Amino acid sequence: MLRKLIAPGLGLALSMVLIGALACGGGDSDDEATDDSDVAAGTSDEPSDSSSGIEISPALGGNPTAEPSERSRTEGDKYGGTLLLLGGDPPTLDPALVSDTSSARIVLELFSGLVRLDQNLKIVPDLAETWEMSDDFTVYTFTLRSDARFSDGSPVLASDFKYAMERAAHPDTESTVAELYLGDIVGIQEIIDGDGSVTTASGIEVLDDQTLRFTIDAPKPYFLAKLTYPTAFALRQSNVESGGSLWTDNPVGSGPFILEKYDIGVQMILARNENYYDRPAYLDRVQINLAGGGAMQQYETDEIDITGVGLSDLDRVQDPNDALNRDLVSVPPGFTTSYLGFNVEEPPLNDLKFRQALAHAIDKDEIAEAVFSGLVLPARGVLPPQFPGFNADLQPLEFDVAKAQQLLAESSYPSLSDRDKRIEITTQGTGASPSLSIVAMADMWSRHLGVEVEIQLVEFATYLQDLHRNRLQAYFAGWEADYPDPQDWIDILFHSESPRNDGNYSNPEVDRLVEKARTEQDVIRRTELYQQAEQMIVNDVAWIPVWWDTQGLALIKERVQDYNFQPMTIEIFKDVWIQE
Amino acid sequence: MLAYIVRRLLWTPVLLLAVSAIVFALGHYGPGDPVEIQLGQHYTEEQADRLRESRGLNDPIYEQYGRYVWNAIQGDFGESFKFQGRDVAELLGPKLKVSAQLFLAASVITIGLGVPLGFYTALKQGTWLDPAIVSGSLALNAMPVFLTAPFLIMFFAIKLEWIPVAGWGGFFDTRIILPALTIGLPGVAVFTRIMRSSTLDVLGEDYVRTARAKGVHEFVVNYRHVARIALIPILTLVGFSLSGLLGGALIVELIYGVPGVGRFTLDSLFARDFPVIMAVSLIGAASLVIANLVVDILYSVVDPRIRYQ
Repeated sequence: MLRKLIAPGLGLALSMVLIGALACGGGDSDDEATDDSDVAAGTSDEPSDSSSGIEISPALGGNPTAEPSERSRTEGDKYGGTLLLLGGDPPTLDPALVSDTSSARIVLELFSGLVRLDQNLKIVPDLAETWEMSDDFTVYTFTLRSDARFSDGSPVLASDFKYAMERAAHPDTESTVAELYLGDIVGIQEIIDGDGSVTTASGIEVLDDQTLRFTIDAPKPYFLAKLTYPTAFALRQSNVESGGSLWTDNPVGSGPFILEKYDIGVQMILARNENYYDRPAYLDRVQINLAGGGAMQQYETDEIDITGVGLSDLDRVQDPNDALNRDLVSVPPGFTTSYLGFNVEEPPLNDLKFRQALAHAIDKDEIAEAVFSGLVLPARGVLPPQFPGFNADLQPLEFDVAKAQQLLAESSYPSLSDRDKRIEITTQGTGASPSLSIVAMADMWSRHLGVEVEIQLVEFATYLQDLHRNRLQAYFAGWEADYPDPQDWIDILFHSESPRNDGNYSNPEVDRLVEKARTEQDVIRRTELYQQAEQMIVNDVAWIPVWWDTQGLALIKERVQDYNFQPMTIEIFKDVWIQE
Repeated sequence: MLAYIVRRLLWTPVLLLAVSAIVFALGHYGPGDPVEIQLGQHYTEEQADRLRESRGLNDPIYEQYGRYVWNAIQGDFGESFKFQGRDVAELLGPKLKVSAQLFLAASVITIGLGVPLGFYTALKQGTWLDPAIVSGSLALNAMPVFLTAPFLIMFFAIKLEWIPVAGWGGFFDTRIILPALTIGLPGVAVFTRIMRSSTLDVLGEDYVRTARAKGVHEFVVNYRHVARIALIPILTLVGFSLSGLLGGALIVELIYGVPGVGRFTLDSLFARDFPVIMAVSLIGAASLVIANLVVDILYSVVDPRIRYQ
């Protein structure tokens, strides 16, 4: 029964960010310094952050030529070595505060929870041995592994989970994610909304050292998935309370690695946790350079083992005669849709036919080929391929100049004199010139419809503020999945009451469908509801979805084995080993 | 002299207050909201408001500013917004140390090359060496770091494999060489030009001719009578070049992965990490004021004609 509920991929992974968003604050800006601004997310980001795919072919993990010797190796031979990476400073190592990928990728190695996402993004037991649900899907009872240990050797008890979750919700912790990930548990919302005096949630009960019971406020198909997020990870109370706000300098977790050394902005070293309940990690250490610098150059001089490939290095690494070509692997895409959003209340974009004309005038195939060398896929709808709820039968607004011109003529703004000013597309960026893809779209509108465009390039913080204040007429952005559930897109971005509906899109029928989907228990029925809503959104041109990432390219040194690129941030270093 | 120094020092807090007020107001009224950046995609207005409240961002600006100044006077520059729970001083300290070392190394290159070259070209005035050196150093000056940095990396790190591409190992580590060259080389031209013209001025002085007439050895004339005097304008330059510490280091630190204050400042700007931005601005302003004061004092030491009232 459990499987049936979770199998369709309601696994929840980590809060990701708008493309390039926290990346600035994180450490991915080193990539930006060297990469073309037009690089698709999957190619420019660090592979471990967002390059991805549901199906991961075995060849991606290591170098195929090394496979035979790998098989002949015994387990013991795999131990040892240091993996060298480039990264950004994680804003926090406190599991309760994690809200970005650069923090999550470290926290997931240091701490662990009841359940986790495995390499196929399925929910599997971690510190929990088994669990069962009540018939009405509102009470979950977990039994912990008796051998679960913190890195200091002490046992992980049910009370460590209760403590961690209630602490995450407490106002003093200032967690920005506790509500999203724990808010379904009865009593948690009261702690969050309280003045600090409420400290316990009745919905988390410690039955004995090994048994933990959650009561949630309604049957929610995605609750288990939310427990894979760090807010629900076990914490040792004495550790947290010993170090004030800087307890994370000496964290005691139950993950496969421990924090050996951390110099902010310089370097972080993770070492194997010898007290890990399962097979200890093969690697002695993971050494992460946090000071930045050119990723590609550092890769070439063996200072790091893995790097993403930007458009500017594309030709070189794809040349079979180049030494780097041997290390080239294709990494499956992140769940990202790049789109043009409209404020549908602003003339002339308040006219449906005008918006439809704009949509029909864009040749997405041309953009995918000419701008991105075929590394992206023209987007037909909102949800990216392979994402739960993706609709292969969705009817897109195809490129059709005649139809576009006809729609324009039928709209309220057929000629230039009816539109007193140009359409302003705002996008985030600090470079000198806007993304080529936007220029291409502007050119298509100009050529086919006579619609003129002004492109505004603004720095990220400004962009975000204007977007959230609904100040933008049209905006070009990307949305990356926070967790594999269509609710993360269709409901959050298009429900008329959603705070993230930045284009003021409002369709009562869409609202009705997504509200129904919120509590629909039947996965197939629920998917249908979202797919109906998605088709309406596409027809209404709330967005023009432009492209999906299809694959990214990364370079990985021959010596690194079993490194599996993932579509979402999950714990991955445990199985990696170094062939010297 | 002492009165002059005291007066200058007394002005410093006034200047810093002005700088802090401007930066604070820019942050407050400028676009971008640190809370929104931190919250990312998903957040509710209540969450944003709670976070603003806990950081005092909901208070009137004069209250926020007053509180900042009061705490700063007591040496408390607040906690970073982005790195929750970490003091700004604790974050900036190690980075300042790194940037200071890099700046020192770059200065050694700029001054160590620029001054002797300028002096030498002045002595060789009229020969082909003079225009060759001057135009050579000007060419270096004209090259943007976007060009010199990748070139240096390509040549020394990737082709010759002498030095690692990125990273930091302190002042006596080879990894300091490339970033120091990148920051230092463009400045060589400035020092060469100033030193050259200043040397030429001194060479024309009567006392130099007198010394020569007395039969003083050419070496002694050049180094005791000419070079020492010609160095005076260089002092001014040294003071000003400090202002390049933040500006120049910003991009160079980014390219070479130097964990200095430049890159950190850039990240903080994008994240609207106000406490960090404030602290960096104040440190920058303070160091510039102090460097210029030191230069002024040195003037009176090397040049007896200069007396401050």
